[in-house]
Amino acid sequence: MKTTNLQPIQTGFIFGAVNVFLVLIGFNAMIGSLLAKALGEQVLTALPPLQFLAAFTGLMGLWSGIAAARKHSRARIAGDVLAGLLSGLAAGAVTFVFCVGIGWLLTNKIDIRNYLTVLSFDFINGVLMRLPPLIGALANLGILAAAGAAGGLLYGFIQSSKVQQMGQQILALTRSTTEKMKRLDHGRRRLALQLVGVAMAGAAVIFLPLNWGSYWNYVAGTVGLYVILGLGLNLIVGLSGQLVLGYIAFFAIGAYTMALLNSPVPHNLMLGFWPALVLGVLLAALAGLLLGLPLMRLRGDYLAIVTLGFGEIIRILLKSDALTDFSGGPRGIQNISGPTLFGRPFNSDIDFMYLIAISVALAAFVYNRLQLSRPGRAWLSIREDETAARACGVNTTRYKLLALALGAAFAGLAGAIYASRNQFTGPEEHSLMASINVLSLIIVGGLGNIPGTILGAFALKGLPEILREFSNYRLLTFGALLVVMMLSRPAGLIPSKRPQYKIPQESEPDESHVEGKNVS
Amino acid sequence: MSAEIITARNVTKVFGGLTAVDGVNLSVNEKAIYSIIGPNGAGKTTFFNCLSGYYTPENGDVFYCGQSIRGKGTHEIAALGILRTYQNIRLFSSLTAIENVMVGLHHSLHETWIDAVLHTRRYQKEEKLALIQASRWLDFVGLIGCADAAAGSLPYGAQRRLEIARALAGKPRVLLLDEPTAGMNPQETLEMTTLIRQMRDDFGITIILIEHDMHVVMEISDCISVLDFGKKIAEGVPSEIQSNARVIEAYLGPGGAALAQKFKRKARK
Repeated sequence: MKTTNLQPIQTGFIFGAVNVFLVLIGFNAMIGSLLAKALGEQVLTALPPLQFLAAFTGLMGLWSGIAAARKHSRARIAGDVLAGLLSGLAAGAVTFVFCVGIGWLLTNKIDIRNYLTVLSFDFINGVLMRLPPLIGALANLGILAAAGAAGGLLYGFIQSSKVQQMGQQILALTRSTTEKMKRLDHGRRRLALQLVGVAMAGAAVIFLPLNWGSYWNYVAGTVGLYVILGLGLNLIVGLSGQLVLGYIAFFAIGAYTMALLNSPVPHNLMLGFWPALVLGVLLAALAGLLLGLPLMRLRGDYLAIVTLGFGEIIRILLKSDALTDFSGGPRGIQNISGPTLFGRPFNSDIDFMYLIAISVALAAFVYNRLQLSRPGRAWLSIREDETAARACGVNTTRYKLLALALGAAFAGLAGAIYASRNQFTGPEEHSLMASINVLSLIIVGGLGNIPGTILGAFALKGLPEILREFSNYRLLTFGALLVVMMLSRPAGLIPSKRPQYKIPQESEPDESHVEGKNVS
Repeated sequence: MSAEIITARNVTKVFGGLTAVDGVNLSVNEKAIYSIIGPNGAGKTTFFNCLSGYYTPENGDVFYCGQSIRGKGTHEIAALGILRTYQNIRLFSSLTAIENVMVGLHHSLHETWIDAVLHTRRYQKEEKLALIQASRWLDFVGLIGCADAAAGSLPYGAQRRLEIARALAGKPRVLLLDEPTAGMNPQETLEMTTLIRQMRDDFGITIILIEHDMHVVMEISDCISVLDFGKKIAEGVPSEIQSNARVIEAYLGPGGAALAQKFKRKARK
C-alpha cells in the first residue's frame, strides 16, 4: 500500500515541477489570456484576470490527477480519487515551495526580473492571487489538490463500466469502418482516401485564402514554404541519409536568382517571374550537384561540417563588400517584382497563397512518388548501409548526387517564391539558424515522411506566429520541445512507416527461375 | 573440368606495415563450391574484399571470366555478377524484407527518377516485375511469410537467409558467402548447407565461402584453399586438406602435425 501511494506522489512532483516551469516562462498568463479571450473577456494587460490564472492552475491539477490515476489505476473510484488527490497535493507542495520562495524574494525587495524578464511584480502578485505570499501559496496548493482529486474522480468515472461500454462501442464502430476500408482492394482504397483528402485540402486551399485576411495568408504562406524546404531536406537527410547542414544556401540561391533577375536596382534585368523561377530551381539544383561532387567521399559528421561551411560561405559571399555591386551586399535587394499571369499582376497575398499551395502540392507529389521507386529504395539503402548498398549494385555516388540536386531544387523553388513574395531578400535571411530550423522541423515532425514534415513546419513556423505572446521564449521552448521530443518520441511526431506491398499474381509461372537463373 | 570463372593472380593487399593478403593465386571453376579457410586474421575477409572490389589490391589482379576486374567499383562488380554477403550481417534493417530484396534487384531494373515521378509505363512494369521477383527470392529462402516485416526485427538465421536472398536478386554468377553459418545452431547450419547446395545445383551459381565450421566445409566443398598470415599454404579437395601437414600446423601451431600423426596412430591401434 505504501509504495502504491508513493507513485502518485512522484507523478505529482513531476507535474509540480512542470507547473513551476510553465509559470516561470509565463505560459500560465498566456493560456489564461487565451481562455479569457475565448470567453469574450477583454484582456488589456499582459496578465489576465485572476480567475483565469486560477483556471490554468486548476487545469494543471486536473491533468496531474488524471495522469496519476491512469498510471496507478485502482479498481475503485475511491482509489482513483485518492491517487489524484495525492498527486495534486504533491504538485501543490512543489508550487507552494516555489510561491513561498518568490514571495520571500518579493517581500525582501530582491529584483529577480534581471534573470526572469517576464516576472513583473504584478505578475508575481497574479500567481499569488493578490494575496500575501503564504496565503497565496496555500491557495495554489488548495487548487492543485482539489483539481487533482477531481482529475482522479474524472478518470475513475471514465473507467467505470457504463462509460467503458460506450467507449468500446465507439471503438468497435471505428474499427469496423477501417476494416471495411481495408477490405477494399489496396489501390482503390488509396485512391478513395486520396480523393477525399485532395477534395478537402482543395476546398480549404481555395476558400481559406480569400477569407482569412493578409496576416493569415502570410503565416500560412511561410508555413507552406517551409513545408517545401522540409520536403527537399527530407529527400537529402530523411531518404538518402546525408546530414546536410547548410541547406539554406540552396534557398538563398533560389531567392537571389529571383532577386537579381527581377529587381531594378543592381542590374535591372527584369526578366519576369516565371523564367526567373525556373532558373532559380535549375541553378539551385546545379549548386547541389557541384557541392555534391567534393562531398561524395564524406559521411556523417564530416559531411555535416563541410555543408555547414558551404552554407556560411554563400551567406558571407552575399554579404561581402567585394560583391556589393553584384548582389547588393549586406543591404540585400529590394523591390523584387511579383509574378504576372496572362498579362495581369498576380502578386496579392491571396495570389501568392495559391502559388505556394500549388508548389507545396507539387513538392509533396514529387516526393511521394520518388519514395516508392527504384531511386527511392536506392536512397534508403544508402541511408541504412552505404557499403552494403554499393555491394548490391547501387551506384551510391550517383544517387547521393541525385538526392542533393533534387533536394536543392526544392529549396530553390521555395527561395524564389519567398524573395518575390517579400519583395526583398538579404544575406541575413539565409543564416545558419534558418538551416537548423528546417532540420529541426523535419526531425520534430518525423524524418522521411510528408505528414510529419507538414506537422513539423506548422509546429515550428506556424505556432510561434500564432502564439505571439510566446515570442520572448521562442528559442527556449524550441529547445525544450526538441529535448522532450527526442526523449518521448525519438522517431518524430509522425514516425515513418514502411509500405506494405501486395504481391501481384504471377502471370507466367516459370518466368522467375529463368530470370533468376543465369545463362550457364 | 569446366572453365575457370574467377582467377586471382598474385593478389596482395597491404595495410600500413601489415601484408594482409600476400601473393595469393587461386582459381575457381564454374559451378564449384569453393571454400577458403584459415585461422583468425589469416586475411580471408580481406581477400573477399579484394574480389568484391571493396579494396583494390596493391599488387596482382583478379580475373572474372577472363576479364580483369581490378580497380572496378563495388557496384560495377556487383552488376557484373559477383555478389556477396557479410560476416556481420549488413541488411538495411529498417526496410522490410521484401524491400531489401528489391534493393538487390537494383541493377536489373532501369527506371529513373523521372519515370518514378511521372509513373510511366516502364515504372509500372518494372515495379510489378520487381515485386514478383523479390517475392520469389523470398520464397526460395523460405521467408515469404515475413515479407513485410522490418529486416532488423527478423531472427538471426532469417537475417542470414534474407541477406542471401538479397544477393541472389542481383543475379549472381559468383556468390561470396562470408561465414554463412556463423552463430547458427546445428539445425540452422544444416538448412544453410542445403541452401548453398541448392543455389549451386538449381541456379548454377559458383559459390566461394569463408567458413570456420569444418563439418560444413568438408561436407560441401569441391575445393578448399587454406590461408595463413595472408599466404595460401594449401589447396585441394577436402581429404587432401585434412591430411596436409602445413594446414594442421597453421591451426595447431608448430609440431602440431607430429602430434596429429601420433593421435592418428593411437586411434588406429
